[in-house]
Order: sequence, then C-alpha cells, then structure tokens
Amino acid sequence: MADKAALPFYMRRAPEITGIAALVVGVFVFELMVRFGLVNRYIIPPPSDVLLAFERVIVEENILARCGETAFEMLVAGVSSVVVGVPIGAFLYRSALWRRALEDWVGALAAAPIVLAFPLFLVLFGRSPKTIIVMAFFHGLAPIILKTIEGLAGTRKVLVNVGRSLNMTSSQMFWKILFPSALPVIFTGIRLSWTFCLITVVGVEFLINLGGLGQLINDLAERYDLPGTYASICFVILVSVLFFIVLERIESWLQPAR
Amino acid sequence: MAATGQITARPRPSVAPATGGAASARAAMMLRVACALVVFGVWEAVSRSGLFYGEVVPSLLSIAKAFGRLLVDPVFWKNLQVTALETIASLAIGAAAGVVTGIVLGANTFLMRAFEPYIYYLSPTPRIILFPVMIMWFGVGPTSKVALGALSAFFAVALSTAAGMRQIDKILIRVGHSFRATTWQMATKIYLPAMRIPILNGIRLGMGTAIITVLLAETKLSNQGLGYLIMQIYTRFDMPGLYALLIIVFIIAGACNALIGRLAKEQA
Amino acid sequence: MTSDSTIARPTAEPAMVIDDVVKRFGRGAEIVTAVDHVSFNVAQGEFVSVIGPSGCGKSTLFNIIGGLLGDYEGSVMIGDERISAPHPEVGMVFQEESTFPWRTVIENVAFPLELQGVAKSERMDRAHHFIDMVGLASFEKNYPSQLSGGMRQRVSIARTLVSQPKILLMDEPFAALDEQTRLLLGDKITQIQQQLNQTTLLITHNLTEAVQLSDRIVVMTYRPGKVKRIVNIDLPRPRTSDVVGSDAFGHYVAEIWNDLREEASRGMADSEAAASRRSAHG
Ligand SMILES: Nc1ncnc2c1ncn2[C@@H]1O[C@H](COP(=O)(O)OP(=O)(O)O)[C@@H](O)[C@H]1O
Ligand SMILES: [Mg+2]
Repeated sequence: MADKAALPFYMRRAPEITGIAALVVGVFVFELMVRFGLVNRYIIPPPSDVLLAFERVIVEENILARCGETAFEMLVAGVSSVVVGVPIGAFLYRSALWRRALEDWVGALAAAPIVLAFPLFLVLFGRSPKTIIVMAFFHGLAPIILKTIEGLAGTRKVLVNVGRSLNMTSSQMFWKILFPSALPVIFTGIRLSWTFCLITVVGVEFLINLGGLGQLINDLAERYDLPGTYASICFVILVSVLFFIVLERIESWLQPAR
Repeated sequence: MAATGQITARPRPSVAPATGGAASARAAMMLRVACALVVFGVWEAVSRSGLFYGEVVPSLLSIAKAFGRLLVDPVFWKNLQVTALETIASLAIGAAAGVVTGIVLGANTFLMRAFEPYIYYLSPTPRIILFPVMIMWFGVGPTSKVALGALSAFFAVALSTAAGMRQIDKILIRVGHSFRATTWQMATKIYLPAMRIPILNGIRLGMGTAIITVLLAETKLSNQGLGYLIMQIYTRFDMPGLYALLIIVFIIAGACNALIGRLAKEQA
Repeated sequence: MTSDSTIARPTAEPAMVIDDVVKRFGRGAEIVTAVDHVSFNVAQGEFVSVIGPSGCGKSTLFNIIGGLLGDYEGSVMIGDERISAPHPEVGMVFQEESTFPWRTVIENVAFPLELQGVAKSERMDRAHHFIDMVGLASFEKNYPSQLSGGMRQRVSIARTLVSQPKILLMDEPFAALDEQTRLLLGDKITQIQQQLNQTTLLITHNLTEAVQLSDRIVVMTYRPGKVKRIVNIDLPRPRTSDVVGSDAFGHYVAEIWNDLREEASRGMADSEAAASRRSAHG
C-alpha cells in the first residue's frame, strides 16, 4: 500500500485518468464529426453548443426553483416512506404470521412497475405535485420495509442470547439490541428507497410535464431546442449522480467500523 | 461495488418460526385471504358510496368485466405483441452488450477502474429522460423504444456480470489450474457455472427496467403498444379498462420476473 | 513394530528437491520476503510436514511447489523438471474452502477425471471409491452448501486423491476441522498414503498433526520464512492416532514446540502491533 503512495499521482490514478481522457476524446471526436458534417447536427448538436447551452439552461430556465421543486417532492416522498416503512417492517418482523402472509406481497410491490400507473394517479390526484409525491412514496416504500425486516432478522443469534441472559424485556431487546444491529441494513434500505424516489419524481415530472427538473427536459425537447435538450439531460443526470454519491457517502459514514 | 438502485426483493428462504410449520402456513394463507377480502370489501364500499368523483373507484364487477373485454379484444393482443417484440429486442441487445462489457470490466482491473464508475453511477438515473434523444436518433417508431429499453437493460446486466466475474472465488480458479485445466475447460467448467447466477440476475433486473422503459416510452409518444393503449384508455376516461389493463401489465411483468428468478435459483 | 517401519521409509531417490527458494512480494520500502532461502528434499514415499506460525510463508511455499506461483528464485525440481506451472503428478489440497458450489459431492470429486476425459461411468466409479474412503458415501448427491465445513474439506481431499497423484501437497487441510475429526482423518490420510506409497508434503501449523503424520518435520521461522530446523520423527509405522498418547510422541512435541514458541510469539507480537495500528487509524 505504502509503496503505491510513493508513486506519482498520474501513475496511481492512471485508470481513472484514462477513463476521463476517453470521455474527453469521445466528446472531441463528436465535435469534429459534427463540424465536418459526418453527423447531422440536427441529430447530435456539436458538444460545444451543448456546453454553451448549459449557461442558457441555468440562467434562463429558473433552475434553482426547479431543483427546489424536485427536491421538495423527493424529500416529502422519501421521508414519508421511511416514517411509514420502518414501523411496518418492524411489525412484520415481530409477527411471524403477518410476515409470512405479507412479505411476498411487499416483494411484489418492490418489483411492480408502479410508474406505469401514472395515468391512474393523475385521475386520483389530479395534475399536481401530489400525484408525483404519492407515486414516489409507493415506489420508495417496499425497499425500506424489506430491508428493515432483513436487518432485524439478521441480528446475530448470540447477541439475542446475550439479551436473553440479561433478562431484557422485549422492548429493551428491540431498542438496545435488534434495532441498533439492524441499523446499517436499514440505512441501505433508505438509500435504495430514496434512489427510487428520485427516479420516480424526475421520470413522472417528465412524463406528465409538470414540476421541476423532469419538466425542463420535456419543455426544451418540445421547443426543438436541441443543444438545450442535451444540456438539460446532462444537467439532470449530473444532479442525480451527485445525489447518489452523497447518499452513498452518508451511508458509509453512518456504518460502524466493521 | 454492489449494484445500487436495484430491486431488493431477493427471494430469500422463508424463515419458518420454531412453532409448528404446517399449521402456521395455513394460518398465514388464511390471513392473506382475509387481507385480500378486506381490501376488496373496502374498495367496493368506497365505490358504492360515491365518495370519489365519477368512476375513479369503479366497482370490482366492472373491473372484472373490463378485464374480460380486454382479453377478447384483438386490439389488446396486437398491442401486446408490439410491446413484447420491442422488449425482447431491447433485452437481447442490452443483455448481449452488457454481458460482453461485464466480462471485460470484470477481467481487467484497469478498465474497471477507468470505466465502471460511469456505468455504476449512470445506472440508477431515470432513463426515460433520454427518450427525446432516442427520438432524435431513431425516429418516433419502435426503434427508439427498443434503443431506450436496450440502454436500460445494459446497465443492470453489465454491472451484475462484472461483479459476478470478480466475485468468483479465486480459490476455484486456482483449483482449476492445479488440475491443469485448459483455457476452454476453465471457461466452460469454472467461469461460466460460477457466473450463471449473477448473469441471470442481471438479466432479470435488466428485463424489469426494459419492460418499464419500453412501456413508458410508448405512453409518451407512440401509436402502438400497450403503453399507447394505456394512454388511449386514459384519454377515454375508461377507468375500469385502465385498472384492468394495468393489472394485466403488472401480472405480465411479475411473471417474467419470477420466471427468470426461477431459472437463477434452479440447482446449486 | 519396528520391523514394519521399513514399509514406507524413504528410498534414496528424492521425489522433490527444493533448493534455495526465495519469494518476495511488493516492491520498494514495503517489500516482504515471504520465503527466504528455503532448501530441503522430500524422498519418494516420504511424508514431510512444514510447520510454522501463521504468516511465515507456508502457503506461499505451497503455491510455488504446486506451480501456481511461477515467478520465484531458486528451484523446485520434480524429476529433472523445474516447476513453474502445475505438474501432472502433483495433486493439491488447498487451505481455503475450495469445493465447487454448483456441483454435487460426486461431481466435485469426479472433476479432475472429467478434465482428463475419463468416460462417465468409470469416473463415477472412481469418484465413488474415494468418497467412500473419506466417509461421505451417503452424501454423494448433496451440494456442498448442505455439508459442514469439515465435510466439504473431505470432499476437496477426495477430489485431489481421485486422480491418484504421485505427489500430494496439502495446505492446512485440517484447519477447519475439530480435533477428533482431525485425528481420524489423519489416520485415513496415513493409510491412503501408505497404500499408494504417495510422497506427501503437508503444510500445517498444528504440532500434534505434524508429529502424528510425518517422517520428517521442517520447522520454519516467522518472517522471513527460513528453515529453522529439520526434525526426524522416529515413531513406528504403521501409525494410528493412538500414537498421540505415547511418551515418544510427547517428547517430540515438546522438542519442536521449543523451537516454535519463539517464532510463534514473534508472530503474535507482530499481529498485535498491526491490530493496534489499525485501530489507531480509525
Ligand atoms: N500475493 C501476495 N502479495 C503480497 N504479499 C503476500 C501475498 N501472499 C502472501 N503474502 C505475504 O507473505 C507472507 C506469508 O504469507 P503466507 O504464505 O500466506 O503465510 P502462511 O500460509 O504461513 O500463513 C505474509 O506476510 C503475507 O502477507
Ligand atoms: Mg496459509
């Protein structure tokens, strides 16, 4: 390890640098191909135009308000799915009967293509942020329930026995042993859930043309603003990637040392 | 790097509680039926009460009727066929590209470090927002749906294959070498069987996202396919029909998921 | 008793010559010498154990002799061939869990025969024989996940024995087993080794096991792994685990432990230091 640290930066990071270089070269090649007319610029605009459009998208399209709106919807849905999902998971863990009866259904909910039901939710809740929030909530719920059950059930037997040997009450057992031991897995559930929430929020915004970042893309595409469309897609992808990285960082920061 | 953003509903062995196995299985089944009955009852009550505007909560009977009507409607079958073909094509392309990419990334640490982060972090982004680009590239016909579906399937398969390749127990490879297995024997008797499950799992996840993405793209802009049909029914405000069609789509998606899940679980 | 001891005594011809083998890992300041100028011979039909504390380079030596670590200094000769790739007459049993989870017990054991293209019915017969020998006859159709750790290790042993290698290399094959199973399986191995007149090199950190099974014991130092001493074990053959109770046995154990204690405590101090370094870093 230490001898690696002794290597110069560009040697240690050669693969990452290669990856970035490949990306830059790829963009550059596209630029040339568009410039020389090898690629129709009405299909792929020159990357330089897209880069310039970034400024326009950020300055003219109310980007802050849009981010705020998407973040708001995402947070309401995400927090509610945690608040609802963890107790449901704990309940299902405690009652073997209910768990046996319903765990498969929760699994089915996790795998169900809920986003597809957006016309239905439109009818139920109208073309309002409510629709988006409710859909994201349902999408985010199942992973939390499943991971809560998994975490609680994965508590090491010997820890439970420690609690039993100390004559702990069942509520002490839950709060002092089961829950803390399940916490890392529950965090994983939260990360997955919030990832789903963001995907759903942005996707539905795009599909029903309402709200924040998703709508931005739809708007620009409908205006046939090619560089703007590309720029806004890149922007949304960057924002979501940033969001995932932050979630991951938080998760690993909260994990106790193994 | 574990695959993020992927469904967590991994089939896990149901942990039988210590007290009586068969009896509690029956109890669970009864509870399940009871839950379903309660849901149906509440639904029907709400529907009768007229609490909601118009047909938003249609009666169970009308949903069942719509269900029957759909199943005998040639329009439904025609659109189902379109969607099925689009999904199969996108899965075939996406999975093939994903397996090849996954093997390359899994076998080569340098390439993995250079390119895998991009695939990893792009995989949980909402793919549907790329649809405008796909339309520009491939037009408004089925090709743009296939392309978007293939793109979605690609990420899951590539990540899962690469992880599977890396997770192969190194000791098994050493065992192969110690018995002087040829390259071909190594590939067929060690790498492939060891990677079968991760690859199938990747295909299962990829298929899930491919189905959703293809259908969503059809709802956005299309003149055929089940997604298109959903929007048609929605525009007509045929609520029983909408419920019935969504239920069918959920069942099909669930069945495909279960089928590949079964393949992955078979032996070993 | 002593007259029997001639059966498996080494003949003059060495089966394996390990000459001045050196292996280093890493480069620059962090270089680790895992195996440091190690030399010894193993005679035909002889049972030799290499003993040393964890981390002294035993597995590294095992991999070099097995031909899995081709890049080393010095030479390992089998016949007149310098080993740099797996040799057809050598069979290896690994320290780690190494059964194929997707194969049943019998399919696992038949694996080497399958590679050699032996016909199915014959390879099943032969696999069956060796599964029987390690006492797993009733588990042939089970998958490894349905067996205990010790049973899985017996599967690996059977899998190596099935191709009847002239030279058997084993890296702590009994480490995952409980003491009783270890003694009994040790008996089995001795028995098979005598039957097939197999040349055997056993890597171990277990003193009892080494003395129970070996004709000679190579004691290694802790980091860098050098040969500290080679001890002849003049206990009668055929031997069974009963020998563990004898005075001579106790004498050998005490003698080797004397050599080993110093090395083992150095190893322990090292790993304690490493652990406190780790916790200090967070
Ligand atoms: N592939 C490797 N790369 C770097 N160091 C290694 C490698 N394999 C083993 N080592 C180091 O060599 C030493 C001996 O390891 P090993 O042969 O596994 O010991 P043993 O089997 O006696 O426990 C250890 O310090 C270990 O860290
Ligand atoms: Mg070792």
